[in-house]
Amino acid sequence: VKARAIESIFLTRASRPEVPSTRVLVLGGDTTGILVAERLAGEGFPVLLLGPSDGASVPDTVAVLSGMELEEIRGFVGGFDIVLGNSTGRSVERVGFVVAAQPEDVVPKFQDYGLAKSESVRSLSDVEAHVRSSAMTVPRHGEWSHVAFLLGLERGSDPTVLSRTLAVIETLGQMEKVQTYVFTRQLKVAASGLERQYRECRENGTIFFKFDDAGPIFEGDPEAPVMVFNEPLLGREMELVPDLIVVDEHLGPPTSLNPLLEAMPISFMADPYLQPESTRFSGVETPKAGILALGPSRGVFDPNLIKSDVESVLAVLKQAGDEPRDKNLPGPPEIDPAKCTMCLTCVRLCPHGAMTFAKTAQADPDTCVRCGICAVECPMKAITLAPGPGQTAIDSRVQQGLTRTTSSKKILGFLCSRSAGQALHASKMEILENLVPIVVPCAGSLDVSHILHAFQEGADAVIVAGCFKGNCASGYGTVLAEERSRMAREILDTVGIEPSLLQFVSTAGNTPGVLARAVSELETRFSALT
Amino acid sequence: METEAVIIGGGIAGLHCASQLAKMGQQTALVEKAPFLGGHVAQFACKATDRCRRCGACALEDVQKQTGASDLITTLVRTTVESVEQQNGWFKLSLLGRPPRIFPDECNDTECERACPAVGALVRSPLDNRLYLDEDKCLFFKDGSCRTCVEASPELAMDRKAGEEKLAVSARAVIVASGFKPFDATIKPRFGYGLVPGVVTALELDSMLRNDTWTIGEEDGEIRSVAFIQCVGSRDAKIGRNYCSRVCCGYALRMARLLKHRVESLRPTMFYMDIQNFEREFEERLKEAEKEVRLIRSIPAEVRRGADGRPELIYHGPGDERVIESFDLVVLSIGISPAAEDILPNLGTNRDGFVGLDGEEVGTQTEGIFVAGTVQGPRSIDETISHAIGAAGRAASYIRRISNGGAL
Repeated sequence: VKARAIESIFLTRASRPEVPSTRVLVLGGDTTGILVAERLAGEGFPVLLLGPSDGASVPDTVAVLSGMELEEIRGFVGGFDIVLGNSTGRSVERVGFVVAAQPEDVVPKFQDYGLAKSESVRSLSDVEAHVRSSAMTVPRHGEWSHVAFLLGLERGSDPTVLSRTLAVIETLGQMEKVQTYVFTRQLKVAASGLERQYRECRENGTIFFKFDDAGPIFEGDPEAPVMVFNEPLLGREMELVPDLIVVDEHLGPPTSLNPLLEAMPISFMADPYLQPESTRFSGVETPKAGILALGPSRGVFDPNLIKSDVESVLAVLKQAGDEPRDKNLPGPPEIDPAKCTMCLTCVRLCPHGAMTFAKTAQADPDTCVRCGICAVECPMKAITLAPGPGQTAIDSRVQQGLTRTTSSKKILGFLCSRSAGQALHASKMEILENLVPIVVPCAGSLDVSHILHAFQEGADAVIVAGCFKGNCASGYGTVLAEERSRMAREILDTVGIEPSLLQFVSTAGNTPGVLARAVSELETRFSALT
Repeated sequence: METEAVIIGGGIAGLHCASQLAKMGQQTALVEKAPFLGGHVAQFACKATDRCRRCGACALEDVQKQTGASDLITTLVRTTVESVEQQNGWFKLSLLGRPPRIFPDECNDTECERACPAVGALVRSPLDNRLYLDEDKCLFFKDGSCRTCVEASPELAMDRKAGEEKLAVSARAVIVASGFKPFDATIKPRFGYGLVPGVVTALELDSMLRNDTWTIGEEDGEIRSVAFIQCVGSRDAKIGRNYCSRVCCGYALRMARLLKHRVESLRPTMFYMDIQNFEREFEERLKEAEKEVRLIRSIPAEVRRGADGRPELIYHGPGDERVIESFDLVVLSIGISPAAEDILPNLGTNRDGFVGLDGEEVGTQTEGIFVAGTVQGPRSIDETISHAIGAAGRAASYIRRISNGGAL
């Protein structure tokens, strides 16, 4: 991650286009990739499709890049430079958006089960391909053919894999004298029509074994094993000599995501998908504006859900760039050239990948979400976010708020606009009458000095309210806020102010109770001290 | 009134449709029959323990803020759709709006709320804590039999005379985002809902947690037991619910862990058929949950009132034995049912019995009418949001073509 962090600094370099590009690079050459490319072209977007295999049928409206691989993505939404390469050289293309529509990585679980691929031990994909071709024959040693499907005995399963398994079973069911068995732990039926499909298979004679114990063991030749297991309902030991074992598959992120992952800001990159597993991201959004993740690249494998992702791509691309911003949010970062020493701390730390540099650090206004983390992290204090319309700087809001309040106890709350700031609206006002609320874009935009200033201006106690860990819209804003609260408490201690009068709380927009409890606890604490 | 799209339903799906269409510069009218926006999600609690558990409930506050700030969205609460006609590329909707009835800003007294005998008639929005009147539940509007609120709170600003208003709206497209109906647990009397004290639905528990009215064990520190029963009204072909509701494993495990987080001595138990994935690398995460929640693969045969008054569960135990076990609280993980009323005709019904067509995610049988969210089938909050954004994308592209007179 560290190496990538340093490298990613240079990935931000790109000259900002005068007119943003509407060209779209679609990655992924299977049906989904081609479908997205076609849909976008039909809506008037110039489309480049990277990755279709030779002979794939791609409509004329889509420009195809073949024999190239994506190596690097630089720049920002409306002006990405895409570096493509092959053995003969490199080329750079300018696009406005990148859509990751590659198929999932499908890994058969032979190793998980200690089995070896053979004529009678095959992967699900392999058997599917066979079933599709009319020449399918099922191996049989006796009069009946016994086919055993392994499904999530190791590493769990997925509704998509169950659906594919049942489709194969339905086809085998049309053949004579084939008995099918499914060996599983948890049947993953959470997809449209799947429970019905499962019931039908069971009624048509497929036997399902669901294990809570260690499950079946495979004895003898790993290419043609004997299955020994405790029958889960009867508790009796049983043995099956299958003519065919169908090994299920683990679905993972597309293998070709690396150049895209490298273009993501590091704050969110905790897993191998382009979309962080956080409720702050929905649809096809990723942490980097202009890069969209569809289906498998965001951890979604259900073909039905992928269909609506295709429409979501269209929705996001058609968003007007000048959508009105929240008037409570500050303006984009302004960098003082006299103070900026090009240390690039902001480029490394921006949770949204919005910072770049030329003669000084610079923010891409379309990517920046105005969280304010860069301004407090800048060691030279060269970055300021101008207060939004009708707003003043935090320190003067603190001063005004504390001057105006008529309450006997002055509890000042720095509230994150994405959580506690929303909870404030749902709060019963009588509980919060002693609270002076200061809503900040992200709790991570608070500096130790803001907190100390609040005490200096006469606050009796201070609450710093951020989001729950894992729910911060700026990745680590809430972690920064908690850490700075801890630092501020140490300073309070040395100057003789009771440190417990400063409290950090994790909140969400729908937890007004948490905020109210924090206020009343601090009231009690303050009363006890005076 | 003329607009580009009418969205029926102001829950998490409808709000996201409106917000996404506004981002694309499209005008919408958001129609909601309740007195305030938010739908079911407004009753869901945050399931965070020491960290976010990704239930998605807080996404409502986010999107509500966005839609409230947009000039392109006209919000019509207390409004229902009476009829729809199609004419030359336009949908002509006839809407019926009810007056607000009460004006809580003009009265600071809360006596009316305490005095009201009809449950759910005077309600506070969880989003802004304002007081609203639900005419369907109010006894005065039912038969004129009750005047308790105005007697208790003489200053209550209330207008009982204002009539309903009709509104005609023309739109290029319609998005149906009218949501689901929670499964009615009384259809399965063997689980004791409404018969055995101490049996609640998961929706009720969720709402108690949201409103901070759940206090079991927090005061006396006594060891308490809670059982969750899964698949109540799901995966049950006999009662026409031959599908998995997809969200119950997620909400039950999250709630069980939240209760455990609040009351360390509590031992939650979950009775299930199969546990469905709701996070990435799910089996690993499930092992973590198993340290806090006892998982039993068995759906109890019966819930009855025990000799000590607590609910008693009879189930088939792991050793093939009949087990009788008492709990302080039994939570029924009720599933997602299709909303009963037909909002609009000719939309089609898919194989799980929801609105729409098989193999179609956002389209319906009628061109120009789209579906978003749980009206089309069971979905988590996260999946609903993604679905709504997709529906908005498809609707926008339809609107653009039909407005340009382009062939479809």
